[in-house]
Amino acid sequence: MDRTLENFISVLRRSGVRVSVSETMDAVRAVVLSGYEDRQLMKDFLAVTLAKSNPEKRIFESCFDNFFNVEGLESRDALSEERIAQPAASVTAPLTQMLLSGSGGELPLAFREAALGAGIKDIQYPHQRGMYMQKLLQIMGLNGLNEDIQKQAVQGSPESTALAKSLESMRDSLMRLARDLIDRQLDLYASRRYEEMLERQLQYTNLSTLEERDLILMQGIVQRMVKRLKDRYSRRPKEARRGQLDLKKTMRRNIAYGGVPFDPKWKSRKMDRPEVIVLCDVSRSVSNVVRFLLLILYSLNEAVSKIRSFAFCTNLVEVSSYFEKYAVHEAISKILSGEGLPIVLRKTDYGRSFRDFKEQYSECLSKRTTVIILGDARSNFGEPQTETLRFISERCKRLIWLNPEAPIRWGTGDSEMKKYLPYCLLARECNALQHLELAVGSLLRRRC
Amino acid sequence: MNMGKRTGFDSREEVREGLKKVGYIAADRIANTVYLASHLAKPILVEGPAGVGKTELAKATASFMGVPLIRLQCYEGLDESKALYEWKYGKQLLYTQLLKDKIDRIVQGETDLSESIEKLHQYDDIFFSRRFLEPRPLLKALQQKEGAVLLVDEVDKSDDEFEAFLLEILSDFQVSIPEIGTIEATSVPFVFLTSNSTRELSEALQRRCLHLYIHFPDEKLEREIVRTRVPDIAEKLNRELVTFINRVRQLDIKKLPSVSETIDWARTLVLLHAENLDRQMVRETLNTFLKRQEDMQVAESRLDELIKDAVREAR
Repeated sequence: MDRTLENFISVLRRSGVRVSVSETMDAVRAVVLSGYEDRQLMKDFLAVTLAKSNPEKRIFESCFDNFFNVEGLESRDALSEERIAQPAASVTAPLTQMLLSGSGGELPLAFREAALGAGIKDIQYPHQRGMYMQKLLQIMGLNGLNEDIQKQAVQGSPESTALAKSLESMRDSLMRLARDLIDRQLDLYASRRYEEMLERQLQYTNLSTLEERDLILMQGIVQRMVKRLKDRYSRRPKEARRGQLDLKKTMRRNIAYGGVPFDPKWKSRKMDRPEVIVLCDVSRSVSNVVRFLLLILYSLNEAVSKIRSFAFCTNLVEVSSYFEKYAVHEAISKILSGEGLPIVLRKTDYGRSFRDFKEQYSECLSKRTTVIILGDARSNFGEPQTETLRFISERCKRLIWLNPEAPIRWGTGDSEMKKYLPYCLLARECNALQHLELAVGSLLRRRC
Repeated sequence: MNMGKRTGFDSREEVREGLKKVGYIAADRIANTVYLASHLAKPILVEGPAGVGKTELAKATASFMGVPLIRLQCYEGLDESKALYEWKYGKQLLYTQLLKDKIDRIVQGETDLSESIEKLHQYDDIFFSRRFLEPRPLLKALQQKEGAVLLVDEVDKSDDEFEAFLLEILSDFQVSIPEIGTIEATSVPFVFLTSNSTRELSEALQRRCLHLYIHFPDEKLEREIVRTRVPDIAEKLNRELVTFINRVRQLDIKKLPSVSETIDWARTLVLLHAENLDRQMVRETLNTFLKRQEDMQVAESRLDELIKDAVREAR
């Protein structure tokens, strides 16, 4: 198999396109058919054999363009316009001579060798660019060039000054070329690894401190998380705890055979498709966590059978209809900004919001519903209405409270968390993606 | 594997011209993929928005290759007996009834039960032979002597289990029937799978296929398609109409008008003897390509602007 294709496939893999061995073989056969001359044809062929979904196609596009541009460095002749016809005898450094002699093929070759020598393929993070650039130029012999420029400038004659000037501008374009090369290499080899590192970090970052630019990356992580949760919980309605005998069931079952355990029964765990009601505090302090919880819940659509969502701050309103009308992202940002909702965004009042819920929506509580409350329980010293929460708790299957504050702060100041705690089946700290994943996992898994 | 029983097309031009002859104007990428698939003997998984001609591509390929098109429409709950084969239970029952005398005679000489069963065992292969096999689309496609185009339509609608079951056929072009054994393809069928991406297909399936994503055609190509399908259309109207449809696709609407709907609309306008787009006529025929009330409202509210744009740009 030829090297170029092999390299290209490894670049694809590193960028996150999964390429199997059989696909590689297809690609080889495809390239044999297309040849390397017709770029467009080869691109078409490789696109259908290697990239198997729409997102992968996009990665493929950018990889292909990047990759075959680096390969095509020979044809680039950026230095040509600054070439000087008469090579001066006084310059000694090999790089200077190469620049002045102006033979087009030498420079890219030198670049490539220097790149190999600098180990540029190991570049991992954007901040390493400077270092690799240094290395690369060192190997190219930049020092010699610099000395030559110095020498010419010191001599002071008009010719040598002019030579020094043109050498300087050549040095600049050389550096530009080197920077381009490194940027492209970074794109090819490192962007994926860098993202992976960021992602690992973001898993544990406090959501309320997230910055705008991380949000996009975050959404990617959430998507993958949702896929994982879906895989885990949506397919199998029953998950067997292998090898554990369910004694009670076995005995009951085998009474008919006179107690001989003819038909053993094993323990299993049932997967739930819960009906979910979410009450979200949309005040500033919690809004980022709300965004991600809603995003996850609404993306889980297959694993969750029914979902109704309410937003509250000073009062409580239902927002489920937003999710029918708009795409999930849009709906969430509309809800958080309170756009077009009869919601009062002043002091958070948990008591009043619970009362609102009880008075207007208590009919939606049933034996099958799980109520999730997401909020910090800081009610600005209003009446906490614990009785109302108890009413809600008694009428649903489970009440889960997710609190973005750490347990140590529950009950301090105006936090009513301690008073609400007895009515929650589960109360968890929840301020990083990790926590959200755990919380949603326990929502989908029923204990038996 | 039956590799190589099907020979690939000679050139990409042959594919493109062939498809064109049967009325399918293919973008380069599509023709290239068909050409490649014919050489690699691989199925093509076609994805893309509804109505860009995914199913049509399979039909066109079949008719230009001059082989039968065998179509398997997927739906939730589709299983082997509907897709692959079924025993003709009724026929089996009928034959045993009809042949009762014969069977009686066979077991006549025997005295006890085990001996009679032993005797019958010699014949049970008869009732589970190909004669009693009802081939469903997949098996049928493998049995075509001259080759066939097998279209597995909307594979995303089937269950995961069925998808897994397809794998054997897609990679080896053979199926196993327990009573008979493995049946290999007499000639490798050309397989198309289409999907509307309602769910993600398994990686195993994706790996075995070439993946072709068909976008909406650009305006030039779409005009050519309309011209081929509705030869009576005036060039001016064609231009205006295609530009209009492309503008509508950029609006904020739920269901984008498909290529087939463009063709329908073109036919309608030709029947109405339209020579260019005029407001009244467009409004009355809006329902040929917009099928939702909300979408129609969106389009209607900006009708003047759209028509003006289309007429200007088409000039």
